[in-house]
Amino acid sequence: MLSRVANNLIWLDRYMERGNGILSLLKVNYYANQDSPELFSWTPIMKTFTNYDNDFYTEDPIACIDFMVLNTKNSNSILNIITKARENARSVQEHISRELWLCINNYYLYLTNKDLHKKLEEDPVHFLEDLRKYHLIYYGTSDITQERGASFYFMNVGKFLERVILISDFTSLKLIDIGNTSDALEKSFYWKNLLLSIGGYQLYLKKHKSTFNEEHVIRMVFQDKLFPRSVYYCINKLSRHINELIETNELEKNNIEFLLGKLESTIKYTTIENINNQGLNNFISDIKEDIRNISLNINAVYFSQNN
Amino acid sequence: MSNKHLFSSYDLLPKTWDEMYNNSSVFRSQYEEFIKYLEKTSPEKLTKKEDLSKQLFMSQGVTFTVYNDNEGIEKIFPFDIVPRIITGEEWNKIETGIKQRLKALNLFIKDIYNEQFIIRDGVIPGELIYSCPSFLREMKGVKVPYDVYVHISGVDLIRNSDGEFYVLEDNLRTPSGVSYMLENREISKRLFPGILPKANVRSVSNYPNMLYKKLKELSDKADPNIVLLTPGIYNSAYYEHTTLARLMGIELVEGSDLVVKNHFVYMKTTNGLKQVDVIYRRVDDDFLDPLEFNAKSVLGVAGIMAAYRKGHVNIVNAPGTGIADDKAVYIYVPDMIKYYLDEEPILKNIETYQLGRPEELDYVTKNVKDMVIKKTDGSGGYGMLMGHEASDAEIQDYLDNVSKKPENFIAQPILRLSTAPCYIDGKLSPRCIDLRPFALSGRDGIDICPGGLTRVALKKGSLVVNSSQGGGSKDTWVLE
Repeated sequence: MLSRVANNLIWLDRYMERGNGILSLLKVNYYANQDSPELFSWTPIMKTFTNYDNDFYTEDPIACIDFMVLNTKNSNSILNIITKARENARSVQEHISRELWLCINNYYLYLTNKDLHKKLEEDPVHFLEDLRKYHLIYYGTSDITQERGASFYFMNVGKFLERVILISDFTSLKLIDIGNTSDALEKSFYWKNLLLSIGGYQLYLKKHKSTFNEEHVIRMVFQDKLFPRSVYYCINKLSRHINELIETNELEKNNIEFLLGKLESTIKYTTIENINNQGLNNFISDIKEDIRNISLNINAVYFSQNN
Repeated sequence: MSNKHLFSSYDLLPKTWDEMYNNSSVFRSQYEEFIKYLEKTSPEKLTKKEDLSKQLFMSQGVTFTVYNDNEGIEKIFPFDIVPRIITGEEWNKIETGIKQRLKALNLFIKDIYNEQFIIRDGVIPGELIYSCPSFLREMKGVKVPYDVYVHISGVDLIRNSDGEFYVLEDNLRTPSGVSYMLENREISKRLFPGILPKANVRSVSNYPNMLYKKLKELSDKADPNIVLLTPGIYNSAYYEHTTLARLMGIELVEGSDLVVKNHFVYMKTTNGLKQVDVIYRRVDDDFLDPLEFNAKSVLGVAGIMAAYRKGHVNIVNAPGTGIADDKAVYIYVPDMIKYYLDEEPILKNIETYQLGRPEELDYVTKNVKDMVIKKTDGSGGYGMLMGHEASDAEIQDYLDNVSKKPENFIAQPILRLSTAPCYIDGKLSPRCIDLRPFALSGRDGIDICPGGLTRVALKKGSLVVNSSQGGGSKDTWVLE
């Protein structure tokens, strides 16, 4: 496969995953903000998920969602992310299924519809859900139409890389709030909010009922084997897809294999006591650092042999 | 519900051939089946179909992007839902005419880059060839597989008031529009279910297979690596490049994906360099190789021409074919047909005046109101003077420009492009059209896809069909 194509496939799925994550975060925060705006403000979200030099902040929910979703000056807005995803898809059309292209192209057309802002004002939740549906369709379409081969593996590498980063960022964001309070009830609100944002609240209730225990949440978010949005699950998938690529000679071993193996076992075998001893924050930044190295190593594969 | 109003204000243009009505305002037979359908379809339904066609183009991504203030605006190439219909008999003449012409043009290119008999025999002046910017010295003596230079061509035809097809331009470099031939047909199938088989319309869907076969036979490998080289996503024909690559199942590459080592061309893949055997390039000669042509080009591949001359890679179309579709060389095509084939041209040329000849310049200046003047190296309808609609000041300005370098200009009488019915504001109106059939040449001869791109000047009375200047397109039906 062309190196440029591999790169574009990775980014196609990274952008789609990021879009899905941000939309989910916005919806959850919108609900929470209706209850207690003082606990769930918009500014931290805008700080973390816009471009680094952004200086626009607002506590007005509609204005914030508008900026996060539709503003063209925010390079990380859903509109901009999907525009980039579509450009990536457009340039690799012969590698992705026709259905997948139509799906992302229609999403793009929906987002560029001039009347969309009106929908946001009418009902922000409905607005965000409608957008998120396109992501769900994208996941499903990719799963049932894309052949299992290099394209699919590269796309999944992008998807799971981005998902780990998002989970880490969401958690870091909440840890700031949690660190600022000693009120146990307030803390439990934040943990619940984290679970909702990554889509794990329902599973948590099934497993642990309605009792909020910090360690249970951390274990689920980081170490659960069956929860598709846990860090462990994503690293596991990442490693599987990378191994497929190595086996089919699409990717050089380098030390990606080693880095992944190390990260996988760190997450698997670190006990909750260990995490608490080093601090969850440090645990997360170690994960992020490892992910960054893995990502750089994948990049190196397509840039090294090109010159 | 019947639809009598549809035809109520169809104002035929004077001295103009209409594709639907004959001289006595009776429907031509090829339109019968389609008219039957129109007559029982309400205007509301037709308008709905028009909207549906726009939606389909958008959702399939059949678009081009216009960049304005850093913001890309997605546009569709305007599409008129009423097909242009050609009889089997008319098509036969077009087909044999184009084949004859391409055969001669290809022999001409071979001759020009090798022995140059045609110059030595005094049929074409040598200085015309050497002064032509599209003449590539780099191609002299280069052997190409099966002596085929022009693999893909899109000859532009128009139908004059006498009902005959005339050749307007032989597009022999990297003609575009074939994806619209395919896409327009797909849309017609959706808009008019069941009508195509009833009307005995020939299929165009085989084009990608035909093209792939022609590309493949250029290599002696059993499974050659064939790629389509695009200038990239900012090119207005990018949609076409992605479509053709997808429909042929070949890789779409950009210049930066390719590299030349030891006179072989490779593409950079995730598991190393992979040799490329055939390149269907949609990059112009000028940008193909920064080492030999435009040094600033980032669209091409350094060293690709050297690899080509060594026979290590095939480039389609061959570089340098522009010498044969140059507007100044066009005048000599009927002579080429006689010279190389000893035949009379089946398709006529449009009478063309070379302004480098004083007496012709004089004639054109006197009759400028009936003339269209073009630069010999212009394209896309730019740099053209349409005498009948220009102001006196504009004409004077243009002629002053001509007098600086008259040999760079040619003139043709203003043509009566034939008209075809278009669905505009709920009614049928005649609009001027041309026709670009697509021909593929290879080892076993020339194949022409039974159809083509019909471009239409959607502005009332306009003769300019170029998409950059308000033109649109129609599906083209060739009947059995």
